[in-house]
Amino acid sequence: MAAPLKIDYAFNAQDFESSAKIVKFTILKKHQEPDAAQEHELASFEETMLPHMDAAHNLAKWLLRNEEDAQDVVQEAYLRAFKSFSGFHGSNGRAWLLTIVRNTSYTLLKKNRAVDLTTTFDEEIHTAGHESVSPATILEHSENAELIKEAMDELPVQFREILALRHQEGLSYKEIADIAQIPPGTVMSRLSRARAELKEYLAARISKDK
Amino acid sequence: MNCEEATKLMDGYLDGELDPMTSQKIEQHLRDCRKCEQAYEAHTALAHAISRGAPYYKAQAELRQRVQSSLRDAVGVRASRSAARENHASLTSRWAKRRPVLPEIPWNWLALAAAIILAAIIASSFLPRLRPPTSDQFLATQLIASHVRSLMADHLTDVASSDQHTVKPWLDTKLDFAPPVVDLSSEGFPLIGGRLDYLDSRSVAALVYQKRKHFINLFIWPTTPKDSTAQTMVEREGYHLVHWSDGDFTYWAVSDVNINDLQSFKQLFEQQIARH
Ligand SMILES: [Zn+2]
Repeated sequence: MAAPLKIDYAFNAQDFESSAKIVKFTILKKHQEPDAAQEHELASFEETMLPHMDAAHNLAKWLLRNEEDAQDVVQEAYLRAFKSFSGFHGSNGRAWLLTIVRNTSYTLLKKNRAVDLTTTFDEEIHTAGHESVSPATILEHSENAELIKEAMDELPVQFREILALRHQEGLSYKEIADIAQIPPGTVMSRLSRARAELKEYLAARISKDK
Repeated sequence: MNCEEATKLMDGYLDGELDPMTSQKIEQHLRDCRKCEQAYEAHTALAHAISRGAPYYKAQAELRQRVQSSLRDAVGVRASRSAARENHASLTSRWAKRRPVLPEIPWNWLALAAAIILAAIIASSFLPRLRPPTSDQFLATQLIASHVRSLMADHLTDVASSDQHTVKPWLDTKLDFAPPVVDLSSEGFPLIGGRLDYLDSRSVAALVYQKRKHFINLFIWPTTPKDSTAQTMVEREGYHLVHWSDGDFTYWAVSDVNINDLQSFKQLFEQQIARH
């Protein structure tokens, strides 16, 4: 669990680099009155990015598990995104915005809640004797949405992140690699681990309830 | 391929992310190995449970307003000025209308949906596994996501009507194109309504049809050079997608009904259009 954290921090260097650009941009703009060009840019930004606010909020909420923090991060991410919008030439606005939401969330986690970043999967659940729980039983309980939510909330942040990106946004491995800033080859193994841990948790819960 | 390799690649196979050669090898192994096949079925069920069960936390209206006003502050635009912004305001309120705030998902509905999905998984495991061409992979993912979201948010339609003469004018005013709308009630696919959706950075029409307890989303947009015109059938994550094009429009039907039903839906839809 410790190794992927290092990778996750790697984005910060990149992030600071782009915020240096943002600062320059802001200073230049400060000397100008808001003009038609800026309003046009805002309109174009909003048209491209506002449709992805549900996705932005959903990801932030899963990463932070706190509504207030999630809202702060979404607002901050939109401001950051707008300030570097002139550098966005791609067609995948959602992936671009989610990358910023993700980076902003991790910055907050690192600053205020470092403990969340180091939380590993509950060992008790790993070692609990639930080998007797059959796939069919898991399958049966997998209809319980509340249980799925609880299980997902228990997972480490990297796992919540990858499950949300894959299962809720339906993103490709390539897009997930870009957003989570991990090598494309790592996406499959991380997803595999995330699903396995979720299954473990479900199995543990089911055998406890028995 | 042995069991160990198959297990290692199972997630990639499940997600449709393996190259065709490797996919074929896994398929072969799953046909030959009962143990891995069972593991794959359980894994598929789990994947569906996650997709269906995990709540999707939508942004609330206050957050939308907050973000927009902080953006305004960032460029120093004062309220009540600028025609451009007023234009834009109508665009965003359209969005707000289209995607209502639904922070929580109705659980009882999800339980039902999960049951339907499980039934679909069982049904689909008897069908040949179809592979989409790579260029359609991403689009297929987006289409399934839109389909699933329309069901999850309990927001299938913006205009709920089985009357094509109600649905069509509504869509015509919301879109910059006029999609064909036909009711197929007498053919067993009643029209439920229409919805605006957003795919790959463009507004598209979504017509919603029902087949027994299942829903079909039919996505329609004007054909662009980007769109392939070849007819395609895709099975992915327990959903079926049928794609066709008639020169003017590109169609994608997405549903968890079986592939034969979806194929006949397509034929009936085309026949009805030809009659209009
Ligand atoms: Zn095997």
